Formats: sequence, structure tokens, C-alpha cells
Amino acid sequence: MSESIEVIRAPQVVYVYEAPVRLWHWVNALAILVLGVTGYFIGSPLPSLPGEASHSFLMGYLRFAHFAAGYVLAIGFLGRIYWAIVGNHHAHQLFVLPFWNLQWWKEVIWEARWYGFLEKIPKKYVGHNPLAQLAMFTLFTLGITFMICTGFALYAEGAQQGSWADHVFGWVIPLFGQSQDVHTWHHFGMWVIVIFVILHVYAAIREDIMSRQSMVSTMVSGYRMFKDDRPD
Amino acid sequence: MAVINTPNGFRLDAAGTRVVVDPVTRIEGHMRCEVNLDANNVITNAVSTGTMWRGLEVILKGRDPRDAWAFVERICGVCTGTHALTSVRAVEDALGIQIPENANSIRNLMQLTLQAHDHLVHFYHLHALDWVNPVNALKADPKATSEIAQKISAWPLSSPGYFRDIQTRLKKFVESGQLGLFRNGYWSNPAYRLPAEVDLLAVAHYLEALDFQREIVKIHTIYGGKNPHPNWLVGGMPCAINVHTTGAVGAINMERLNHVSSIIDRTREFIDQVYLPDLMAIASFYKDWTYGGGLSSKAVMSYGDIPERANDYGAANLKLPHGAIIGGDLRNIQNVDVRDPAEVQEFVDHSWYRYPEGAGKGRHPWEGVTEPDFTLGPNTKGTKTRIEALDESAKYSWIKAPRWKGHAVEVGPLARYIIGYAQNRPEFREPVDKALRDLGLPLEALFSTVGRTLARGLEASWAAAEMRHFQDKLVATIKAGDESTANVEKWDPSTWPKSAKGVGFTEAPRGALGHWVRIEDGRIESYQAVVPTTWNASPRDVQGNIGAYEAALLNTPVARADEPVEILRTLHSFDPCLACSTH
Amino acid sequence: MAEIETFYEVMRRQGITRRSFLKFCSLTAAALGLSPARAAEIAAAMEQKPRTPVLWLHGLECTCCSESFIRAGHPLAKDVVLSMLSLDYDDTLMASAGHHAEAILEEVMTKYKGNYILAVEGNPSLNMDGMSCIVGGKPFVEQLKHVAKDCKAIIAWGACASWGCVQAARPNPTQAVPVHKVITDKPIIKVPGCPPIAEVMTGVITYMLTFDRLPELDRQGRPKMFYGQRIHDKCYRRPHFDAGQFAEAFDDDGARKGYCLYKLGCKGPTTYNACSTVRWNEGTSFPIQSGHGCIGCSEDGFWDKGSFYDRLTNIQQFGVEQNADRVGATAAGVVGAAVAAHAAVSAVTRARVKHVQTDERREDR
Ligand code: HEM
Ligand code: HEM
Ligand code: NFV
Ligand code: SF4
Ligand code: SF4
Ligand code: F3S
Ligand SMILES: [Mg+2]
Repeated sequence: MSESIEVIRAPQVVYVYEAPVRLWHWVNALAILVLGVTGYFIGSPLPSLPGEASHSFLMGYLRFAHFAAGYVLAIGFLGRIYWAIVGNHHAHQLFVLPFWNLQWWKEVIWEARWYGFLEKIPKKYVGHNPLAQLAMFTLFTLGITFMICTGFALYAEGAQQGSWADHVFGWVIPLFGQSQDVHTWHHFGMWVIVIFVILHVYAAIREDIMSRQSMVSTMVSGYRMFKDDRPD
Repeated sequence: MAVINTPNGFRLDAAGTRVVVDPVTRIEGHMRCEVNLDANNVITNAVSTGTMWRGLEVILKGRDPRDAWAFVERICGVCTGTHALTSVRAVEDALGIQIPENANSIRNLMQLTLQAHDHLVHFYHLHALDWVNPVNALKADPKATSEIAQKISAWPLSSPGYFRDIQTRLKKFVESGQLGLFRNGYWSNPAYRLPAEVDLLAVAHYLEALDFQREIVKIHTIYGGKNPHPNWLVGGMPCAINVHTTGAVGAINMERLNHVSSIIDRTREFIDQVYLPDLMAIASFYKDWTYGGGLSSKAVMSYGDIPERANDYGAANLKLPHGAIIGGDLRNIQNVDVRDPAEVQEFVDHSWYRYPEGAGKGRHPWEGVTEPDFTLGPNTKGTKTRIEALDESAKYSWIKAPRWKGHAVEVGPLARYIIGYAQNRPEFREPVDKALRDLGLPLEALFSTVGRTLARGLEASWAAAEMRHFQDKLVATIKAGDESTANVEKWDPSTWPKSAKGVGFTEAPRGALGHWVRIEDGRIESYQAVVPTTWNASPRDVQGNIGAYEAALLNTPVARADEPVEILRTLHSFDPCLACSTH
Repeated sequence: MAEIETFYEVMRRQGITRRSFLKFCSLTAAALGLSPARAAEIAAAMEQKPRTPVLWLHGLECTCCSESFIRAGHPLAKDVVLSMLSLDYDDTLMASAGHHAEAILEEVMTKYKGNYILAVEGNPSLNMDGMSCIVGGKPFVEQLKHVAKDCKAIIAWGACASWGCVQAARPNPTQAVPVHKVITDKPIIKVPGCPPIAEVMTGVITYMLTFDRLPELDRQGRPKMFYGQRIHDKCYRRPHFDAGQFAEAFDDDGARKGYCLYKLGCKGPTTYNACSTVRWNEGTSFPIQSGHGCIGCSEDGFWDKGSFYDRLTNIQQFGVEQNADRVGATAAGVVGAAVAAHAAVSAVTRARVKHVQTDERREDR
């Protein structure tokens, strides 16, 4: 039971993130960067360009980059779901919360106390710490699912009725009311992702420095290194 | 039941048979009319009821004042645009925004286009069937019709063959047994008096006008993007002008200006060669049907409109007359101040609304309140959702009762022409004198149902002529180097005062229209519209003064109690717009 | 009784020859996937079929849909009502009034049970027992339900009948509702727009009469043939959009050159309608061509999406209207500031811990 929240804190070095997860992580991060920047400028375009319309294609390229990154994000996400099934134990943490596990919730609180400077010594985790897992699931996993559904619903409008995107995601538009509402919520979703990224990157670097285990290098090499060998 | 003498000089007797007309048709919106007939089938009491309410004034609260025009434009699709214009004027007044000269010319053009179009459509498609009997037209001799047509007008479509074709088509239509819009008409009623030939002429032009009206509105389409419901802008007009350089094809350019010009020419032609001659021809057979004057000889009002120069809404700068005549005193034209809290007020004692302080008092629109209160009086016949007869001693209409200095007044083309006439302005006086002379009628005949219909026709012709003036002015201003159409200095709400209030007014096709707005922190705090049909179709006020519709119906004999042709005639002469009246 | 004019006769009078009439019938048969032999049946049916009766009811509305309808140029509104269908009831245009008018409804409902089309302009209101829209002393909603009972199909004209339109905008004081909220057992063809384009209106009706079937509808019940694409998909200013050339303010240089109106709040990218192709008033112009952005007038609830001039519109769920950027950037700002503060506190804490550790080490020595 306790294994599922990664409280086996004995070994010094553990292989946690398999290559596909690491590759996905960085490709995904890049796609989101592109999506965020291009999306923002789709919503609030840059000052107008002079000259003939046929001489520039700025919005066109921005939108193209957005859609391309959107595809990368979505396909990557599907791949990541596949890996959650076939990959190692840590690979499915992103998609399932041990919701009924009381111990896990206790450790969520413990981690919160650690971030609140109420605990002096952090715990060790092979996989994600429970608070991180909670944040990743709610903000990232649900957030990206939302962005993919709304994003492809909007994409379907351009791809026209009858396109694959329309068949798969067309229902999203009437669900929200109309297209403008979907734009608004998709746009809002960007800020949810931005908030996640701020918290996530900060936490990753901070934990790298302050916790008892490696972080950033883990997402590069796949190995979790622990700085001490105390069991707890 | 007692006889009531109203303070504004009418005698109401609700003793006789009650006749109900609901729905009143060939109007805009939902209206009910009840009258009492005495033993001789003469109307002795009239009740005018607006039977719809949407709550636009409530809906506008909290919105962006720059958006208001689009909401209020949807008050009515028949007088489309006039509410929008009134709204942008109100907001500009509140925020102190000055519009460019070109915007003024274009706005005038659009407002005049509306006048011309609305009057034309009203005459043929809403009003004509009160006077014209299409079934009788089957008996006409097309050759004789052609002779009449050629005698009264130079309009080229007037050959016997043309009228024969129309008659054949009509015949097929009637013989099909599917009478469509003409079904259940009162075609055997003796109130119809035209010879068959004139009936045929009018039916032909009913169809012709239906085709032609499409053209007139294209002026709205060019400057406003569509019709009905063209686009407007606080600060000017949204259509940019570019006639000289690259990109002109994306703006108002030479081709667009030419298009407008050609429509204006054809509109003038149609009104002067078809509408007016038909109107005179039909009127000549109803000269002695002298009913329906109502308030027109006693109390009329007009705010004035069509500013020659931009941003000056003073009477001297307005091409449509401004003023009020009370007590029938044509020598005394009083000034109307839409800002004065004591002048324009609305009462709700007989309307389905409540005021916070209770009944009895009027409210100036800046302090206006719109809170529904649907209740029926104790003498109502039927139930709350199955009304058989209303109780006019209690609340009985969705229309508020606007009053000017306490007076019920008539507004509209007839009011404008009476005031213009009284001001001795030749552009109003001469056409009236000529028309009356041609019909062999005295000036008093103007104060009637026929007079109202006549004034509207004359006004359509005036409006079409003024369209030419403003189109030429637009071109002249462009020629002088000014292409601007919008002033966006105060576009951003951060440039606005914390609180502001303004009023905008126009002369809509049906009469004086005003919008009063209060703005707080960039949002609409209060918005009130007092609309032409609110004035004319008004229910009683706390004093018991009756409105223009009710007054006009009184003392009219009805040929057949069961067939309300005469009631429709007089109501239609006002061109009722109920969506407008209640909003 | 007088002879009832048939659809065939109508077409003949429209100048269509018997030959092309028969050709039309075989084409129709082919389009319906029927064998050529059935063409003769179709021809026979059309030769005997009277004009379809249409009952056009009016609820809470501004009547601009009727006004738009009579602007139709092809076919002319005149030809539609005289020759193509039988507009037996329409309070705005009919000769008859009062109970004579109301009687027509009953006559047609009985005689053409299941075969008449109900056209609805405007919408019913439910507040105050429906008495903010009264017809014949009774709530309009009752008339609507009554006449809908035996109709073949319903055409919901305009934004009012399709979505609710302006009277249903917040706070919807009369509780106005679209037709599909009160009639659930009949096919409803929504023809939205405020108003719809005239030729789209006549296009939908003549399609139904010509092909004798309902048009194919999209997920929201609109005919695909006119509402299948957005204004933006076929807007002639689209090259400027793609190039990133926008009017930044009304009447600026970009506006005069016909640049894209996106930054002035154009809702073309989110609005399904035929304006940019069919255009208005026989192709004369459409809102964007005349310099004003599309306000989205054929979309559900377009009145409540914030200002018509805002590109980024509001999220009502946040109580006070706020747009996504304002809510999101504020939240991100707060989170960013919190993170910075947290980082500072962390650094101090860590420094103190380090300090203690070094002290310990020093003591060790
Ligand atoms: C758009 C930006 C990013 C997103 C959306 C993102 C998302 C994620 C997700 C979903 C995971 C969980 C991986 C899994 O379990 O499969 C993760 C893990 C991780 N990410 Fe990111 N990431 C982003 C950027 C970054 C950056 C810039 C860094 C480095 C500074 C970083 C460092 C890490 C680390 C260290 C982990 C592992 C955490 C652990 O071991 O518990 N991430 N990230
Ligand atoms: C992290 C993920 C994403 C972010 C942050 C993001 C961000 C944005 C933003 C801010 C906008 C502008 C919305 C507006 O104001 O109207 C936008 C538009 C759009 N996004 Fe995304 N997006 C994401 C994912 C996706 C995905 C997966 C797709 C799918 C292809 C997608 C497709 C679109 C489309 C089609 C538009 C509308 C473009 C237009 O109207 O021209 N987005 N996105
Ligand atoms: N009454 C009225 Fe209107 C007009 N004319 C508006 O102001 O019609 Ni709909
Ligand atoms: S849809 Fe719009 S245009 Fe049509 S009746 Fe309703 S408010 Fe008027
Ligand atoms: S003007 Fe509007 S519809 Fe046309 S391209 Fe620009 S955003 Fe799209
Ligand atoms: S505002 Fe309406 S008229 Fe067309 S361009 Fe937009 S849908
Ligand atoms: Mg009002």
C-alpha cells in the first residue's frame, strides 16, 4: 500500500523516468511554450504590418505554429497515456490519484506543511511527491485535456464540418454555448497552464536545492538520486 | 355606466356594445383595441392596448454605452436604425463627443432613407387594404385603368397590357381558392369605395412597391452594412471613406457613392410618380370620410431632426420642425426642452408598471423606472390569461403614458406638417396647400385620418429630396479634402467622466423619439426610451386624458359592427408600432 | 369550390416549360436516390399539389425578420407569397384582423392537418403567465403550442425564435425562450440572424418546397447549406487577417484601406452565417464590407458576450464580467508574486540552516 505513494525511501539511486517519459516531458514543455506564445498573440495580435497583404503572413504563421504545436501536444499526450499503461509504475502517476488512500492525503498535507515552512525536514519520494502529483493531475492532466478538447473544437471550425476534428470534437462548441465562449475558455485555460508552469518550474528547482533528492537531473537522466540514506 | 368628459376635451361613453379587435393586424407588433358602439354604430369609447413588452430598458442596465445602439436598434425592425441613431446621439451628448461633418451627412441620409422607405411600405403594404379592395380589382377594365394611370402620372409602367397581366395573375390567385394574405378580408363591406379601376391600379402598385422598396434600403446597406438593422458607431459612422488612393475598394469609394446616388434618383421618381399620385387618387374617393382627427387639431409635438450642420441640435439647425402646439393654437408654437424635468414625463397609472412611490406622479425619463406589474381591473371580463374585455379604469396596457407638460399630444408626420405649416415654412406649407387644393378640401380636413395619411406621403417626398441634398453635401465635403467619418478621441472609457447623463432625439417615421441615458463608471446606469407610438398609442393618464389613438377613434361611424375596417383605417393612419411603443 | 392552383401551375407561370419541369422531376428523383421511374410519380404529385400553406406567427420580436423577408430579390417576396406558397396567416401583412384573422388558423389547421408549415418570428415569454405577449387576450405561448400541434415542420426565423435574442439577454425580464424550449415534438429549422438574410430565408423555404424535404441541419439545428461556415472562413478581408494587418481604430488608415476588423471586435471568426458570401440586400454589402465588425448576430446569446468591440470577451461566471486575460493575468501575477516571496523565504530559511550547519561543523572541529 505504502509503495503506491513511494515511501520506499531506502535506495540511493532509482531509475524512475524512462526515456519516453523524459523525451515526452521536454517535447511537451516546448510545445506548450509555443502554444502559449502564439496563442497569446492570436488573442491580442501584434501591431499591423505595412504593405500589401500578400507580402506577409504573420497571423497565418502564428496560427500555423499554434496548430502544429497543438498536434504535437495532443499526439504526445496520447503517447504519454499509452506509456502510462505499458511503462513503469511511476509512469501512471500523472493520470491516477490514489484518491481513497488516507495515507496519501496525509502526505499531501505533510508536503503542504513543508512548503509552508512548518516542517524542517522533507520526506523522500521516488516518484512525485503527493502534493506535486495532485497539482500535476488537476492543473496539468485535466488542464491539457481541456485545452486539447477546446483547441481541436476551434480547429474543427477552420477545418470545416466533416473534418476528423469536427467529428471528434465538434460537440464541444454547443456544449459551451457558441464559438466565442469556447475561445474565451480556451484562452482562460492558457492562464491555468501558465500558473501550473510557474509553480512547477519553481518547485522543481527549489526541491532540487532544498529537498533530499535530485529533481531536474532526474528529468534529464531518468535517475533519482538521494542526498542522504536516512530511511524516512 | 357613466359618461366621462376627459380633461383634454373628449366625451367617453362606455354604455353601448363592446367590440374587440385583437390582434390588430397590418401593424408592427401586438395590439388590442376595444371600442364601444352606440345604437347607430358610432364609436363612443375607445381603448388602446399594447399587448407586448420585452424590457429593453431593464436589459440595458450595466452594459457598455457604446453597445447600446445595437440593443435599442432591436426595439424595432420596421423603423430600423432610428433607435440606434437616437442612442448614439444620447451617448455622445453624455460624453461630449463631437462627430465629423461626413458622419452627420451619412446619418441624415440613413434617417431620411428610413423615412422614405417606411412611409412607402406603410402606405402600400400596411394601410392600402383599408381603402383598396383587391377582389374588386378583378372587375376592372385594364384599358380604363391604364388611362387613369397615364392621366395622374408620368410613370412609364402604365400600358393596358401591364394592368391586364397583373389582373390575370390576381385572377388566377383568387381562383386558386388559396387567398393567402387576402383571406377573410372584408371585401363585401360598403366602406370600400374605389372604382374597380383604381383598385386595380393600387394592387398593381402594391406589388410594384413591394419590389421597389428593396432598392431604397440599399443605402443603409452601403453605409451600414445591412438592412434591416444597419451598423452605427458612437463618435460617427463605422464606414470609412477612401475615394482617392490604394485600398479605396475597401471603403466608401466612387462606386459606392454612385450607387447611392442612383438609388436616390430612383426613390424620388417612385415616390413622386407612383406613391403620391396613388395617394391623391385614392384620397379623392374618401374626401368625405372626415373622421379620425383626434388630438391633431388640439395638441401636437415634434422634437425636430435632420441637423444641417453636425453637432448642433438647436431648432434653427434642424430641417424637420421643432415645437409643440397646445389647445389648437397654431399661432403659438411652444419650445420643447427634453432636459427639463417638468416637460416630458411618463405616467403608469393605467399601464402595467409600478413606480416606487406609487401611482399618480409622472417621471422624467432621466429618473425613469421600468418595473412590470401585470394586474387587471375588477371589471375585466374573462380571466387573467383569457381576457374578453379590459377594464380601462385600471391598468390596461404595456404602453406607458407620456405627457408633455401634462398634455397628451400627437406626434408623427401630421404633427410635423402642422407645426411646419404653422411656422410658415414653405417646404411644408406649399405641398399641403397644393394637395388640399387638388382635392378641393379646406385646411381643417388635414386634421383627420386622411390628412394623416396625406402628410406621410408628402413627407416621404420631402425626405427623398433631402436625401439628394445630403448626398451632394457628403461629396462636396470629401471634395474639400475631409474624408473623416469618426471621432475616436473619447472611444476609450478611461477618458470618460465618472458619471454623465445625456439625451438624444430624432424624428422617427412615426414621430418624436427620445432616449435618455445615465452613465456611471463607464456603464449604463439607467436608460429610458420614450417612443412615438408610446405617445400616440398611450393609455389614459392619472388625470384621465386620453391618447391620440383613443381620441382619433371617437365619433367614427362603423358600417358593420363585426368588420372593423374603419377602426383599422384610423389606427393604421398612425402607422402603429407596438414593439417600439413598449420596448 | 374554386380550383386549387398546383405547384406545377405555379412553376409554369414562373416561366418554366413542361419539358424542364419533367427534367426537374427526374433530377429530384435522382437527388433523392429514387429510380428514374419514380420521376413520373413526383411529376404527378407536383401537378396535383396545392401551394403549401404557411402560418406565420409573431411573438416577442422587432419584426425585422419580416422586413428582411420582403427584401428578398430572388425569388422576389411577391412571387413567394403569390405563387410558391400560401401565406394564410401573418399578422404583419394580412388583410383580416381580430377574430376573423384568428379563425384562419383553425381553418387551415383542420383542412391541412399535418401539411402546413409553421413559421415563427419572435418568441414566447413565460414570466407573468406569458402575458407579456398577448394575442387575442391569451398568452402567445398558448397560440404557438396550439398551432404547432398539427404542423409538418417549424421554421424558427431569426435569433429570437432560434435562440431568444435581445429580449432574452440578461436579465431576461420576461423569461423569453426560443421555440425549441416549448415545442419539442416537431422538426425545427433554425434560420438565425438578427435578422436573417432575405435570400437565405427564401432559400430555405424554396428548398423545402422544391425538394420536398427538410434541409440538412447542423448540430444546432441550422441548415448546413447557409450556416455551415463562419463569416471569417469566407471573408474578403481574410488576407489582411492572415497577413496581420488590422484596423486599430475606427476611421484610421487601416480602416480606410479595408484591413481586417479583428482588433475592433469582429466576431466573424465565431459566427456561422452566409453574410460574407451571399451578402445583404442582393449582394450590396455586409457589415464588414461597410466597416463595422460582425457582432455575431446569428449566434446563440451574442448579446451577452461582452462589448461588441472587444476581441477578448467576458467570462460571466466570474460574477463581475471579466475577460480571460484579465482574470488569468491577475491570477498568474498573484501566483508569480507568491512564488517570488516563497523563494525569498526559502532562501533565507536555507541560509539559516546552512549557517547552523557550518556552525555545527565548526564546533565539530
Ligand atoms: C511547459 C513547461 C512544463 C510542463 C508543462 C511540465 C510538465 C511536467 C509534468 C507533467 C511532469 C510529470 C512527468 C511525468 O510524471 O511523466 C513533469 C515533471 C518534471 N518536470 Fe516539468 N514541465 C515543464 C517544464 C519543466 C522545466 C522547465 C523543468 C526544469 C526546470 C521541469 C522539470 C521537471 C522535473 C524535474 C520533473 C520531475 C518531477 C519529479 O521528479 O517529481 N519541467 N513536468
Ligand atoms: C497549452 C495549450 C494551449 C494553449 C496555452 C493555447 C492558447 C491559445 C490561446 C491563448 C488562444 C487565443 C484564444 C482567443 O483569444 O481567441 C488560442 C487559440 C486557438 N488555439 Fe490554442 N492553445 C493551446 C492548445 C491548443 C491545441 C491543442 C489546439 C489544437 C489544435 C489549439 C488550437 C487553437 C485554435 C484553433 C485557436 C483559434 C485560432 C484562431 O481563432 O485563429 N490550441 N490558443
Ligand atoms: N413608434 C415607433 Fe418606431 C418609428 N417610427 C420608433 O422610434 O416604429 Ni417601429
Ligand atoms: S431576430 Fe433580431 S431582427 Fe429578428 S425579430 Fe428578433 S430582434 Fe428582430
Ligand atoms: S474582418 Fe472579421 S471576418 Fe473578416 S477576416 Fe477580419 S476577423 Fe475575419
Ligand atoms: S453581425 Fe450579423 S449580419 Fe452577418 S456579418 Fe455578423 S452575422
Ligand atoms: Mg420607455
